Amino acid sequence: MALNLDKVGHVYPAYRYEVAREKIREYARALGETDPRYFSDGDDCVAPPTFAATVTVIHGGHAALEDPELGAHPVLVHGSQRFEYGDRPLKPGDVLECTPSIESIIHKGANEFLTIAVDCRFAHSGDLAVLAKETIVFLGSAPREEAA
Amino acid sequence: MKVGDELPEVSGESNLVASVMYAAASGDYNPLHYDKSFAEHVSPTKDIIAHGMMSMGLASRALTGWAGGCEKVASIDVRLTKPWPIGTKSTFGGTVTAVDDEVVTVELWGRNENGDTILKGLGVVRR
Repeated sequence: MALNLDKVGHVYPAYRYEVAREKIREYARALGETDPRYFSDGDDCVAPPTFAATVTVIHGGHAALEDPELGAHPVLVHGSQRFEYGDRPLKPGDVLECTPSIESIIHKGANEFLTIAVDCRFAHSGDLAVLAKETIVFLGSAPREEAA
Repeated sequence: MKVGDELPEVSGESNLVASVMYAAASGDYNPLHYDKSFAEHVSPTKDIIAHGMMSMGLASRALTGWAGGCEKVASIDVRLTKPWPIGTKSTFGGTVTAVDDEVVTVELWGRNENGDTILKGLGVVRR
């Protein structure tokens, strides 16, 4: 089953994400990071840039992937990912308001490319924290006439 | 910083422990990254592959370390061009392609030990 093209432009309800110090450490450790600020107990603690994946890829992606009207299926790979950052890195205690939306659905051969944007703002100020754009490739489900 | 400068390389091994650690850290529990019987059915390689975001994370580590800290990073954009097979090593690096008044652009790459280019991208850092 192909994805539902009518969902392009759909905006899902915003979710909140609170950045936790131990979560930053866990993420930094998984990547073998060495910057001591990622492991700091103090006010200098910050998150690595791709910690944004923890905030957006699954939380934001699930809004779309679990939408029965979209028609997602499990034969997928992560095709590309973009993060645009605001003026400062994330740090413990930051509360983010994150709004997922479906930016595009494109067919290439037999595959479908779904791009989900997640706009994350600092809840207290409304300033941009990070804008994430993830493209998920659904393998083999493009409509047959376009796959030919 | 000038055009042609190379980032110090960063490398990583994909194995079940690394996959499980990344799954827990990121919340991405897709069994494609640790369950062989699931991967046999849906993986492009018919076997377990590393999280694409682990590749991006290591490319970002190379970029951020070279740039002098995470506050320097303005954007990172990558394409995950080939799967990273379980049980293999990949290396990540980059080359400066433009130096402007405010930002420096770096072309990022990731290569698997099997010769595949698994990641291509652009990083933009603040000067």
